Amino acid sequence: MIEKTLDSLVLEVKEMSPKLGSRAEFDSFKSTISGPKGKLTDVMKLMGKVPKEEKPAMGKKINEAKQVIQASMDEANKRIEESELLSSLGPTIDPTLPSPDSEKGVLHPIAQVRDQIVELFNRIGFAVVEGTELETEYYCFDALNIAKDHPARDMQDSYFLPNAIQMANVSKESDEKYLLRTHTSSVQIRTLLKEKPPIRIVAPGRCFRRDTPDATHSANFHQIEGLYVDKNVSLTDLKATLDYFVKMVFGDSAKTRLRPSFFPFTEPSFEMDFYSPNLGKLSNQWLEIMGCGMVDPEVFKSVGLDPNEYSGYAFGMGIERIAMILQGVDDIRYYYQNDIRFLRQFSD
Amino acid sequence: MKISYNWLKQYFKSEVSSEAILDALPLIGFDVEETEVLGPPQMEQVVVGKVIEFEAHPNADRLRLCKVKTAEDEASHSIICGAKNFNAGDRVMVALPGAVLPGNFKIKKSKLRGIESEGMLCSAKELNIGQNHDGIMVLDSSIALGTELNTLYSDTDIIFHLEVTPNRVDVLSHIGLARELVARFGGSVDVPKIKSNLSTVDTLEPNTTLKSLMVEATDICPEYSAICIEGVQVGPSPEWLKQSLESVGLRSINNIVDITNYVLHETGQPLHAFDSAKVSGQSLLIRHAFKEEKIKTLDGNTHSLNDSMVVIADDAKPVAIAGVMGSADAEVDESTQSIILESAYFNPSSVRKTARKLNLSTDSSYRFERGVDPQGVQYGIERACDLILEVAGGSLLGKRVQIGSVDKSTESVEFSPEAMRSFIGFSVQDTEVQSVFESLNFKVDKSSESNWLITPPTYRKDVTRPVDLYEEFIRIFGTDKIPAQSISVNGINASDHPIYQFNDSVGTYMTGKSFNEAFLYTLRNQDEVAFFQGKGHEETLKLKLENPLQSDQSHLRNSLIPGLLDVLDLNLARQNLTTQFFERGRVFRVLEGQLVELISVGFIALGKNLDRKWLEREKFDFYSAKACTEDLFHLLPFKVKERKWSPIETSEFWQPMHSAQAGDLLKEGFEASVGLLNMKNVKECWGLSYPIFAGSLLIQTELFEKEMKRFRYQALSNQPASMKDLSLVVNQSVLASEVLKTIKGFIEQSIESFACESVEVFDVYEGEGLEEGKKSFAVSMKFRAQDRTLKDKEVNALFEAVQSAVLEQTDYQIRK
Repeated sequence: MIEKTLDSLVLEVKEMSPKLGSRAEFDSFKSTISGPKGKLTDVMKLMGKVPKEEKPAMGKKINEAKQVIQASMDEANKRIEESELLSSLGPTIDPTLPSPDSEKGVLHPIAQVRDQIVELFNRIGFAVVEGTELETEYYCFDALNIAKDHPARDMQDSYFLPNAIQMANVSKESDEKYLLRTHTSSVQIRTLLKEKPPIRIVAPGRCFRRDTPDATHSANFHQIEGLYVDKNVSLTDLKATLDYFVKMVFGDSAKTRLRPSFFPFTEPSFEMDFYSPNLGKLSNQWLEIMGCGMVDPEVFKSVGLDPNEYSGYAFGMGIERIAMILQGVDDIRYYYQNDIRFLRQFSD
Repeated sequence: MKISYNWLKQYFKSEVSSEAILDALPLIGFDVEETEVLGPPQMEQVVVGKVIEFEAHPNADRLRLCKVKTAEDEASHSIICGAKNFNAGDRVMVALPGAVLPGNFKIKKSKLRGIESEGMLCSAKELNIGQNHDGIMVLDSSIALGTELNTLYSDTDIIFHLEVTPNRVDVLSHIGLARELVARFGGSVDVPKIKSNLSTVDTLEPNTTLKSLMVEATDICPEYSAICIEGVQVGPSPEWLKQSLESVGLRSINNIVDITNYVLHETGQPLHAFDSAKVSGQSLLIRHAFKEEKIKTLDGNTHSLNDSMVVIADDAKPVAIAGVMGSADAEVDESTQSIILESAYFNPSSVRKTARKLNLSTDSSYRFERGVDPQGVQYGIERACDLILEVAGGSLLGKRVQIGSVDKSTESVEFSPEAMRSFIGFSVQDTEVQSVFESLNFKVDKSSESNWLITPPTYRKDVTRPVDLYEEFIRIFGTDKIPAQSISVNGINASDHPIYQFNDSVGTYMTGKSFNEAFLYTLRNQDEVAFFQGKGHEETLKLKLENPLQSDQSHLRNSLIPGLLDVLDLNLARQNLTTQFFERGRVFRVLEGQLVELISVGFIALGKNLDRKWLEREKFDFYSAKACTEDLFHLLPFKVKERKWSPIETSEFWQPMHSAQAGDLLKEGFEASVGLLNMKNVKECWGLSYPIFAGSLLIQTELFEKEMKRFRYQALSNQPASMKDLSLVVNQSVLASEVLKTIKGFIEQSIESFACESVEVFDVYEGEGLEEGKKSFAVSMKFRAQDRTLKDKEVNALFEAVQSAVLEQTDYQIRK
């Protein structure tokens, strides 16, 4: 009797379980088998009435039947779990559709060139210092040996602030005027006054000249100033540093030359030119990229350093100029329009 | 400055080619901005012709129809010409069909007003021979017909446009540049010899043209020299003189004036000639101008002078502004019979101030203000005197008067070759050093082997220190001889400034958040700056520049946001649908009456998705902007403990109650604003009618000087946490921060043997089920003990204490 019931039960489970399509069907079928009132439960209850001597054999039979039932049910369960997982995944993806999320933003091309230059100087031991965009005449001119009535002041017409203005975080030397700095060279003075040599710095920043804007002049522009002051710094050191810089930016095929020039704060002073065979339209011609020279003894005196003890070199370059050469941009004003199609051209 | 190669060769007689000179000039410190070739290029079919006859063009009064022969035995050409400066029989330059004139101007037969012209009669300018374009060239009648242009004008000239740095006034002349070329290439400078044998007196011996000559302003005019010449024939200059001046861009005026200009460009010494008949009272006085004294200068402008300026004056009026320009009243012209020639040394800074004040820069003032060669004053006047006698005739009246004498001494500079070698960083022989200095005309005294005495000439006032000598050495020796070397770096204890590091991480963060960086002008217009405080406000007034160039760039910016709106506007106008931008930069504010430069980060984002996408994403909203701003705080290198956000209640720039502010520039050193921009005003001023969200962070620079943040390990508890939620009904105006503060206070009052890890709002609700004007905050609290699993009992006790405190001490209701 029990055996017969067991056999038909196994048969039923074997037949039914592959047909169970959902968790609900599975659960309700399962309860008809192994639930409190399930068929297998009922059979188990009958075990009590089985004569003692038949019990081991019967027990074995029941166990075998249970295992078969369990295996079938497990298989059904696994199958249903898998299909449940599949249905929870939603529709399959189309990997060729674009992501609707916004793409990453881009750094401004001037910032990229600035960072590249800073990084190159970082690597040879120059640390970045910051200066203010508002400066005083003393730090921008006088301390740099640009005397009040010196024609060199003609070279840079400046934006001034009215005399009545006082600044909280830009110190004055005496009662000189405030102005928007015309070059980053003012940072040389502030740094030399604050720190003791050896000093090896670069100072990137925004500068201003009172020029009518055109393709090569912008109301504000950016420079990077470099300064190295120590004992026994020589002209040969200056050349080595700038040669390294030019080759790193424009490639090993670039040649350089130092063209004697004049700046009140360096002596001797030079313009550095470079010559490159692979710069598109600008290939194979000498292009000016920066001013440089050995720190003038007058500058050392104005910051209280003994020019007989210390020497140093300084250089300054226009970031826009280098960017324009590198990126092939022919009008500086594009950099300040910020058309996204322009900005994106310099990032991948 | 323009230098003519032909002119230069008179003083620099050398085999060196113009190309070699051109290559060398930049390397000895004179950048060549441009070169220009004067004189005709090779031209075919441009020959000498003879005008046989002409008549008026039947269809155009202003044109002449000419018969021109270019060979005696050939038929004449019929050529139409617009010029009128020729007669029948004149020799002219004819461009026949097939000729190509400078500027690729091709000559061919063509009809002019119905009549065919078989060529063109040319002006000097059209053939690149001179500047003259007033009429066609009329040539000497002895020249054979058919002579080719290039046979007639074989001479070409090259003009160098040189950039001369302000320290090198000595090179602002042809002789000056010749000296430099001699230093570079060797040889010697051929300085023209003075022919007239002039003796010098220190006071004027009155003569028929000049009775009195005095210098009153001796401080500004330490040396004044004059020569009187009578019986001069004023007229057009000879061809060589005309050509020389025209080649350097000057207009020929008459022989006397031309000679003064010629000598200026030859020697660098400015000169002036007065018509003595126009000098009232036959007396000249060099004095300070009177206040508001008027003078009409040669350029036709009238200037009002002041007493800091110096003039050369006769009895009645000033006849020249010292060192700057002469007066039209004493001008030398065709009627002039006798002249007073002037050469002087004027104080550089005085001339500079005068020229600046009058906004009048001349070839004279340009040289005087840089300091002319003290030795050149005498040479200049003698040279001009020679040329005048040669070109314009006349005879000298009396002697050369020289009042005062400018210091002509030279000072020697101590020079150690060893110190220079250490400065330049490579080895050179003493003999090489010496020969460079001698090539520059510097006297070298080597009495002491290790400490030389170098004496530069009077025209090199710029060389006063050893380092100036190093520069001169390297300039002439050649910078290309500085050895290439690898960099030797010794370590220095310094790292990049925290402001730079902060900006660097902001760049990385913001681009990662899909913001694009913009660079905007620091100078903005008044209306934009006034947005934040109003036009009459102290801040707006104090941000104004003293000397703006353009009205739309008159003020320092006090925020980065307006510029970013310009960027958004520009991009949308160009159908670029990118809507998120940021800038890192400096802005300016007024705090307690003082201007402060601040570090700033600003960003904007459109609160609307403009481009259609196949899958819609969440729009940018207030809380997106707030999250960005909060993250920026975390990028700061120093700790900002707490940002107390409060809604902005009134603002022209921000949308009230949809924007918030935290921090205080004065008390905390920072200020953050975030939220929706004022919809009405943004539409009015930028024409943008979208919801635009923005964030702005301003930080005082001094905060970056503070101690930077450090992070230290704290022991963690391994025990499980216990959570409690509390739902509170509050008035709609109550802020989350207020509720959290209250609850935290209550917890602190009752908590004892364990810790509260966090108290957070996790749900906000208003609407159905709640009274009008009320909202509910659901707050979750998290507790944990260091040493044990918390028991329900102790957490519940705390929770109950908090609840009863809420009921007793606040008007919040607890929602069950």
